Formats: sequence, C-alpha cells, structure tokens
Amino acid sequence: MSAILPELQTQFAQDATQTMQMLLESLIGEWDAAAENLQADDRRLRELLASARGAILSARSPGERLESLAREIEDGLAVPAAGSLLVSALSEENRSLRALLELVLVACEEMGGESGPLGPVRSETYAHLREIAGRGWSFWDVMSFRERMARFRAG
Amino acid sequence: MDGILGQKLEAYLRAKLPQVEQLSVSKLWRIPGGASRETWAFDALWQEGGKQTSHGFILRRDPDASVLETERDLEFRVMEAVWSQGVPVPKMHWLEQDGAWLDRPFFVMDRIDGCETSPQRLLMEPRYVRVQQAIARQFTQILARIHALDWKALGLDFLGVPPGPAGCAEMELAKWQAIVDREALEPQPVLRAAFAWLRRHPPRPAQGVVLVHADYRTGNFLVDEQGEIKGVLDWEMAHLGDPLEDIAWACIRPWRWAGDERVGGLMTRDEFYRAYSELTGLEIDDESLRFWEVLGNVKLAAIFLTGGRSFCEGRTASVMMALLGRNTGRLELEIMDLMEV
Repeated sequence: MSAILPELQTQFAQDATQTMQMLLESLIGEWDAAAENLQADDRRLRELLASARGAILSARSPGERLESLAREIEDGLAVPAAGSLLVSALSEENRSLRALLELVLVACEEMGGESGPLGPVRSETYAHLREIAGRGWSFWDVMSFRERMARFRAG
Repeated sequence: MDGILGQKLEAYLRAKLPQVEQLSVSKLWRIPGGASRETWAFDALWQEGGKQTSHGFILRRDPDASVLETERDLEFRVMEAVWSQGVPVPKMHWLEQDGAWLDRPFFVMDRIDGCETSPQRLLMEPRYVRVQQAIARQFTQILARIHALDWKALGLDFLGVPPGPAGCAEMELAKWQAIVDREALEPQPVLRAAFAWLRRHPPRPAQGVVLVHADYRTGNFLVDEQGEIKGVLDWEMAHLGDPLEDIAWACIRPWRWAGDERVGGLMTRDEFYRAYSELTGLEIDDESLRFWEVLGNVKLAAIFLTGGRSFCEGRTASVMMALLGRNTGRLELEIMDLMEV
C-alpha cells in the first residue's frame, strides 16, 4: 500500500484504495476462521432453538403463535446439519438457523421480554449474538483513530 | 478545464448564466467520502460587466447507487429554506432532476472555503482543539435554532407531518423497519428484536414537532480556525419529528470520535443537555433518549445494509458500500448494550 499510494494522483483515488485495503483486511480476518466459526455457530444455534422449543412446549398455554413457532423450529431442526466444511454449505445452514432465531427473538421481545414465556432462552440467545457481533470487524477500529485520540489525550 | 465532466459543467453553467462571458471551469476534483452522493469541488471563472469573477462551487451528483435512496430535491429544498432563516448552510444555486446535463440528477451549491469537516483533524489538530469549546457551544446553538424554525411557514410540510407529537416515534420506526425489510440480505435477529423492543419501550410524546436534521453530528459541519461553524451539511435525511431524535443521534457511540463518552468528541452529555435545554426550554428525558439512541444505532445499521445490498446487486462498484455492509457488528453490540440484554 505504501508503494501504491504515492502513485495515485487524487485524494479520492487514495481514499478509495485505502478503503479497498480495509475491505480486504476484513475479509482475510473472517475467512481465515470461517469454517470453524460457522460450524460452532450452527451447533450453538441448534442448541438455542431446541431450548426455545422446549420452553414453548413446557409453557402451560403457549397460544397459537408460539405453538406455530415450535412447529417451525421442529421442522428447521429436522434438516440435517451441513455435511461438509465448505463455507457455502455452512453459511446456508447458518442463514436458515438465524432466520428461525430471528422469529424466536422477535416473539420473545413482543411477548414480555425476560418475563415472557421465552424469557428463559432470552439471555442465552443474546449472549450468543453478542459473541458473533463482537467477532465482527469494524473500520472504526482499523482506522485506530480512537487509539490515537487516547494517546493524544495522554500527552 | 478538467475532462468530460468539466466540459459538461461548463455547458451547464453557460446555460444557467447566459449574461456572463468567457465562462470556464477549473480545479474540478472529487471530494472523498460522501457515501450518499458524489461530491465535487470546482471553480468557475467568468467575465460580467467587464469584471472578472471567480466563484467556488460544490456539485452534489446522484451516485450510481447510494447508502440511502434519498431524494436530492428534498435536501435542496430544505437547505434553501434553512439558509433563508440564517442557519449556516451553503447557499443553494441550481437543482437538476434529470440526467440530461451530467448523466445523473444533481444540484450545485456554494463552496465554503477555509473550513474543516474531518473529525480527526477537528479533534486532534491544535488549531481546532484550541477552539473546541466554541465549536461545542455553536453545535448546540445551531441545533436549537434548527428546532425552533417554523417549518409550516417555510413550506416544509412536504416532508410529511407526523400524526401529532405521539406519532413521531412510530413514524420513524415504521420507516426504518421498512428499510431493513427491503435491504437486509441475511437474517438480522438483533435488528428485528430491537424493533420489537422499541415498540415495547416507546418514548414520551415529542415536546413539539420540529424540523429534524437527522444526521447532526461531528463530521457533518464545516468549521473555521476561529471555531465558527460556517456550514451544516448532509440534510438528505431531514424530516419532521421529535427534537430528541437529533439529540440522541449526536450522542450515539459511532460519533464519539474521541473514544470516550463525550458527545461527538466535543463535550460531555451533561454540558450538551444543559445548554440545549437552556436554549429551547425542552426537557431531556433519559428513557426517551434511550429509545432514540437504540433507534439511531438501528438506523445506522440499516444505512450500512443498504450500501451492502447496492454493492452485492452490482448497482455500485464502490468498495465503501461493501465495507459499510460488513460493519454492523459493533452497532449490534451497542444496540444490545442500550437494550440492557
């Protein structure tokens, strides 16, 4: 990058090239561990969905919406896990499971949050989503502006 | 003259300024950033009444795709209206809705020279650090002035009038939920849960329906070395709504550039709230503000998802769009922190 940037004629070109570098860094960071992470995520998502289904089934009178959700979860979990370590196969499974988790979480928030029928799985689900989100890459971090600000303030 | 765009600009300006002679365009350069529209700076020189004139302009042209599909005429009309009331914004000149002149719709406004917008420079360079208190003071004063504008008298009801003070929050919620529905390429459990959480935790009814800038933050104003804010930029998300929406947006973590809790890297929350309340008489209610901060982070994530989709669907080749689309993780963490889950 240090060899290319001086050759670029405009500030816009330099800026776009640096953006490209950040994009590549973010992709490298994700792809290196992609298969391992996706496999672990998919396993954990299945556990969370099974817990959500269990919470619904053990509720005294869950109601039509939750009963329907329990059936959807059951159908989703009946689909076999990805049979390979290909990122595409693991991602496809991940998308399906996250779509189900989305339904669970929305139902959870709409039906009383922590004190609702899905309360028991709420905190576990958010803990997992925090782990995933924390793994994400951020250009705010890469730019290190905040680090430089901290050094600046420290004199 | 600078390339084909420069030639087209010259032809356009000649049509707009038929009374002038020897018009030429020079120093045309594209300003980095501006994920929603292309931003170009240029000089125009001409002879008028035997006198040589040089004028600095900014061209804001629709991109091939955008982080948000906003209407350029909305931004133009709002900036024109607030400029007439003394709010510091560049003077607007011409709006073109079709692509006949420059391939895509665009507008042209005055360039404000000798100013800085970059948060990095504003917060780190000694010449701006020296005047930081003045910047913070004006930041609050200008926001209070925007919120005090009589939007009806200015003809800004075309922005869409909320159904009363209690309807401001639902109107914004519905708008951003529709954007996430339309733009998300993958399941978004955190964002969807946040919408449900927001509906369970509505803010108090707005203390008034005001003109909301909707992107009011460090990085969106031009300031000179004396610490005077000369121009507030990026009005494309402006709408009518709850003034606390702007307060919360200015406070959200992505704009706390200094890496601490200061609003926009400029001042503490207490300083910001106190100064704003003194100027407007409005109360800053913590729970309402929390609602708007959660929604602010959701909104930013929705903007990023829109950019990512544009890239994935080949409507833009901008790598910035791809980068933005991959940047929702930190926002999700912030949303969950604010929801206390």
